[in-house]
Amino acid sequence: MSTIDLSALTAREVRRGIASGDFSAREVAESAYARIEALDGEVHAFLQLTPELAFAAADRVDRARAAGEELPPLAGVPAGIKDNMNLIGTRTTCASRILGNYESVYDCTAVSRLLEAGALPIGKCNMDEFAFGSSTENSAYGPTRNPWDLERVPGGSSGGSAACVAAGMASISLGSDTGGSIRQPGALTGTVGLKPTYGRVSRYGVVAFGSSLDQIGPFGKTVDDVALALEAISGADVMDATSSVEPVDPYSEALGRGAQGLRVGIVSDMLAMEGCGEEIRRVVNSSAETFAALGAEVGEVELPSAQHGLAAYYIIGPAEASSNLARFDGIRYGRRVPDADDVLDLYMRSRAEGFGPETIRRIMLGTYALSAGYYDAYYGQAQKARTRIIQDFRAAFERFDVLLTPSTPEVAFRFGEKSDPYTMYLNDYYTIPVNLAGNCAVSVPSGLCTTAGMPMGLQIIGDYFAESTLLRAAAAFEEATHFEPVPPLVRALTGTEGGE
Amino acid sequence: MAKDRLAEVLERYEAVIGLEIHTEITATNTKMFCGCPVAFGGEPNTRVCPVCLGLPGALPVPNQAAIEWTVLAGLATDCDIALWSQFHRKQYFYPDMPKDYQISQYDLPFCSGGLLEVEVDGDGVAQRVDLGGGVAAVGPEAVADDGGYRTTIGITRIHLEEDTGKMVHVGGSEGRIAGATHSLVDFNRAGTPLMELVSEPDIRTPEEARRFAQKLRSIWLALGVSDCSMEEGSMRVDGNVSIRRRGESELGTKSEVKNMNSFKSLHDALAYEIVRQADLLDAGDRVVQETRHWDAGAKRTSALRSKEEAHDYRYFPEPDMVPFSFDPEWIDSLAERLPELPDARRARYMTELSLRKHDAGLLSADFAQACFFEEAVAIAGAARAKPVANWMLGDLAALLNAEGIELPESRVSPAMLAELVGLVEDGMISGKQAKEVFGDMAASGDAPGAIVEARGMRQVSDTEAIESVVRGVLEANPVEVASYRAGKTGLIGFFVGAVMREMRGQGNPKVINEVLTRMLSG
Repeated sequence: MSTIDLSALTAREVRRGIASGDFSAREVAESAYARIEALDGEVHAFLQLTPELAFAAADRVDRARAAGEELPPLAGVPAGIKDNMNLIGTRTTCASRILGNYESVYDCTAVSRLLEAGALPIGKCNMDEFAFGSSTENSAYGPTRNPWDLERVPGGSSGGSAACVAAGMASISLGSDTGGSIRQPGALTGTVGLKPTYGRVSRYGVVAFGSSLDQIGPFGKTVDDVALALEAISGADVMDATSSVEPVDPYSEALGRGAQGLRVGIVSDMLAMEGCGEEIRRVVNSSAETFAALGAEVGEVELPSAQHGLAAYYIIGPAEASSNLARFDGIRYGRRVPDADDVLDLYMRSRAEGFGPETIRRIMLGTYALSAGYYDAYYGQAQKARTRIIQDFRAAFERFDVLLTPSTPEVAFRFGEKSDPYTMYLNDYYTIPVNLAGNCAVSVPSGLCTTAGMPMGLQIIGDYFAESTLLRAAAAFEEATHFEPVPPLVRALTGTEGGE
Repeated sequence: MAKDRLAEVLERYEAVIGLEIHTEITATNTKMFCGCPVAFGGEPNTRVCPVCLGLPGALPVPNQAAIEWTVLAGLATDCDIALWSQFHRKQYFYPDMPKDYQISQYDLPFCSGGLLEVEVDGDGVAQRVDLGGGVAAVGPEAVADDGGYRTTIGITRIHLEEDTGKMVHVGGSEGRIAGATHSLVDFNRAGTPLMELVSEPDIRTPEEARRFAQKLRSIWLALGVSDCSMEEGSMRVDGNVSIRRRGESELGTKSEVKNMNSFKSLHDALAYEIVRQADLLDAGDRVVQETRHWDAGAKRTSALRSKEEAHDYRYFPEPDMVPFSFDPEWIDSLAERLPELPDARRARYMTELSLRKHDAGLLSADFAQACFFEEAVAIAGAARAKPVANWMLGDLAALLNAEGIELPESRVSPAMLAELVGLVEDGMISGKQAKEVFGDMAASGDAPGAIVEARGMRQVSDTEAIESVVRGVLEANPVEVASYRAGKTGLIGFFVGAVMREMRGQGNPKVINEVLTRMLSG
């Protein structure tokens, strides 16, 4: 058994180690599966492991190296893939019973780009069913546990993608973010989670939740790893009419230029949100001081319409979801009741039995909001709020290059703690406005909370297609704080030390 | 249903009819939102991909060519082209819809506010009892020269959407769902670009509805946007019809009639529906708002679903595509691509080729026929357009009708017809011989010249040759010559017959007549 500690290596270091012959890609894959063997029984980050695919990819990398070829940017880097992304040779269940047996027949663009860049597909990651949730408690196949505290949630909906990176089962992973589903679990697991600008990454092949909000993005242990992954998956795609032709910058090259001269705005009115933890608020303020110390111009800005984000999101998101999930009807694929009386009975029972309670709740919400007589009052109003939020962000980015908020109002909570949907929804208070506006944002670890010992995340928000500036700011912050979080579970296993 | 029953009903009631016409854009090579080919039939579920099957995660990408065709269709029917438009999702569950929503257009269609001028002549004129036999009181214009009338029908909108798949019900009668044991779905058609044209309720008679649909078809064919096959379903006409007592302005309750698979069905179904509604009202009953299915065999409509079962489609803007913003210059450049449309073509046939209005109308309405005609005239020469038209609308039309085939399937080519007309016009063969040659060439596909040659039926028009035969006949019949010259001019027939016999029927009768008259009087 190999002994590569993936928690101690960045994705860049994994590739470098393979390129210089320190270890093989096959050994990297073996190490990933060894870690999974050791920890995933408890963590449950993966719904399906794909060793055939991973070892085949590893062998390609090792052969390429043996042949003296130049290795692609993510050569041999083990990657987790959220289970709402199609990949031939895997089931794509969206953590739902209704797609329990669904085998992908084509590849998601972002996934195939990641694999073309040399990444090893380790497995498909657990999630809240159809990405509806902030804790992975809505997975039909059991929740993922937070590697920092197995009694706590890893966040969601991309909880498995976050947890597998946090626990060193993969170096990077792909998640999808509709209202915070990358940044919130990133914050709760001490990983870096990036939601790119809407249109930056093709959505082709990710099972749609809210089509106007969804965006695929990477998790990593470092900003640099996330930048590498973003470079690999970004760019126009003829299969997605909303993908942008905006050129893909060499994001990782923008890092290391520091924060000198960056205009950094603290979103003061959002920071004052009632439910925001005191320590989390303090950390944002101290982060601003860190930026100031790095030579940034720090100021305050308000996004007055952002307070309506949650309400608008819970109209627009479910409205689009209710439509996107209509296709899961038991006719062409997926779960179908065997003894339906007629087609209506087939639809109703296949869906009632196939979907979990949160999914049904969102479908009901969205269907109601789009119904005759209610459209203007709900969907129409929500779109107006969305326009206001867009205007707020535009105004803010006239004055600032990046904005700061907490990623979440609180650290990871315990299972079952948030029993009513609304308090659960509040967890995405800071992240949702960014999806409504379409901007890019990243959650970077900002420290451990002194009371619970759990990670906190700083959300940095960037302008449209300004990922270079965003990641530059994030990398400067990361470097200045020297915070490299390793969960106790992993430390116990490997004997490595956390922190500096 | 008797025709006079409709006439009687229309004396008392006015019908208000609007049409919804779906046309598949068969001119594009690929489907509306994916790269699958557009075609008819084929092994089920062979022209499909993740997008048109609605697989999880697949996304639609709009077909630019289909949008251009729709804009062209709008320009050809005097529509305004929207500078800002958008797709919406129309949501309802049905097994032939892969996504359980149809990508369609709602309040921002590509085309709106168009017009189509329709002419009605012949028997259909009588249906407009308010016009008193074609003389317009208000609204429609009388067309003085042939007793018909002209009326303008508004086009509310033309929008673009994707077609559904096809259900095949197994175990029931005639593939209908009633009595079926199970159903199959073929998604080959799913995602085919589909234009939906909605007319204003400006149509007043079944004949106007038929003329409107026929006119539209001829325009679509001239554009080349679709093959417009009502049989294969690439053009589908639904009708909304209500009636009201003459003199009333309030609209009656409408029914929607579907499954009218030919122009005749369209006419007959609407006529049936008008009479059915009148019978209900006459009996003191109400018309129920519902969708009705036309059964062309039984010649009746039957209820399909009522308004209570009507869907709330929950339209909302399609988030997988950004809205369309059209540059007026782009629209102008498309307008320049518009070909000659049937009305302009008819006018040209009348002015440049001196065709009668009726013939010009028939030839210009059918695009394939117009192309055939123009190709033949290009060879035969414009001066011979009339006989070309006569052949096409006479013997050729009768032949196609008898064989039940379309013009392009016929063995007769424009060049063959032009050659035949040339042989007649040059006096090489007689009209009677030409009919024989036509029959022969339609059966064999041989060129008319070759047929004439092979049959040795070339007509002799050479005056000198005929003179020598006439001289011989006159010399052989001195008594009859004397009688003729004495005033018995009826004997001309005897001499013509004798000359013809001598020439084994190949003499040009016109020339023989001339020569005989001249030499007998000389």
